[in-house]
Amino acid sequence: MLLLLEDDHKRHLSFLIDVDVEVVQEFCRIAMEFIRKGVNPKVYQSAAQKLEVKPEVIQNGVEGLIYLLTESAKLMISEIDYQDSIMTLGFKEDLKQQLLQFYLENRKEVREILSRMSMDLPHYHNLEWRFDVQLASRSLRHQVTPLVTMKLHTEDSEKKEVHVLQTDPVNLLHLTQTLEGALAEMKSTHCRRIVRNINK
Amino acid sequence: MELSTEVQEGLQLCADNARISDNAFTVLVERVCDSILKKTTEYSVLDDKGLSDVDKAVLKQSYASVLALILEAAKHDVDASTISPLLEDNKFIPERIDSFNNIFQKRKTEIQVLLGSIGHTPLHIVDVDWRLDFYLKNNFIDKINEPVYMVTLKTEQSGSDKIKDIQFTCSMEQLQDLVGKLKDANKSLEKASQM
Repeated sequence: MLLLLEDDHKRHLSFLIDVDVEVVQEFCRIAMEFIRKGVNPKVYQSAAQKLEVKPEVIQNGVEGLIYLLTESAKLMISEIDYQDSIMTLGFKEDLKQQLLQFYLENRKEVREILSRMSMDLPHYHNLEWRFDVQLASRSLRHQVTPLVTMKLHTEDSEKKEVHVLQTDPVNLLHLTQTLEGALAEMKSTHCRRIVRNINK
Repeated sequence: MELSTEVQEGLQLCADNARISDNAFTVLVERVCDSILKKTTEYSVLDDKGLSDVDKAVLKQSYASVLALILEAAKHDVDASTISPLLEDNKFIPERIDSFNNIFQKRKTEIQVLLGSIGHTPLHIVDVDWRLDFYLKNNFIDKINEPVYMVTLKTEQSGSDKIKDIQFTCSMEQLQDLVGKLKDANKSLEKASQM
């Protein structure tokens, strides 16, 4: 799948055609830092002074790189598609190679950062259990009731929650068997067929 | 098992044949057991035909005392050998003691089940529902393509009939981890039951 670049975007990136290889490296590094930690405008100023161009030009170039990287990582485009997409920018061969490396090295990290921003539901984190026997309570002495007490840890994008629960042995067996059935469902032909066809 | 002086005074009233006849006593003990187990009947205790010849004030006091006796006896799981001396001290004749013990032993287990369910416990899991989805994409990333399970644990709180749901999602690995831990718990239960 090809990435379609808009004219503004192409114009911003065209600044990179005339500069040295080391400068492009530096810009790539700055772009990744900004993806990880946020934009720092002072960097634009200092780079603009060194290269004797306006800060806006530097800003457009770096932001163009950032956008190129995040869009490519989001769509998870293959190497060949990526190379075809940047062909329209009119870059030299070694610049194209450099941009390809930039994409391949960083796309996993960019996807992880993007997934942290996306919606999360409370998901399972850990289950602790222990086996108790209830001997007495205020209302009834001389009991021998087996119980399983559990602590279910769930996490919802950094927020952790703990549920204290209990069951008896019969319900524990039922719970285990039902969830084993759920797990086995993924290996059924229907699910396998769907997964295969989506991944094609 | 100890009973307070008020309860014992009430029991002494029960022992008196002049105030509560043998038949009335049997009916009284049965009615007390019914009301503990919340079995509704047509007549309230005060209007019960079997107890019509008993003075209302005496009836109320005897009812309360028999109730206290039955609950304490069930709580401590006592049998006839403990109850009989106690009733003798309160002027019960042997026939009336036997009559009480017969009715009580019949109903004891049911009352104990009820007493055992009273109390504060954590939410008790009674059932589980699950659903399997295939996660395609979200508004930030495309091509996620992973299976994801949504599990709902149905839980009951002691003393309430309402079912509370606890929901969470799992990936394949997380569900395998969960099922593994549950299977460990099952195995240790089996081993404990064989000890």
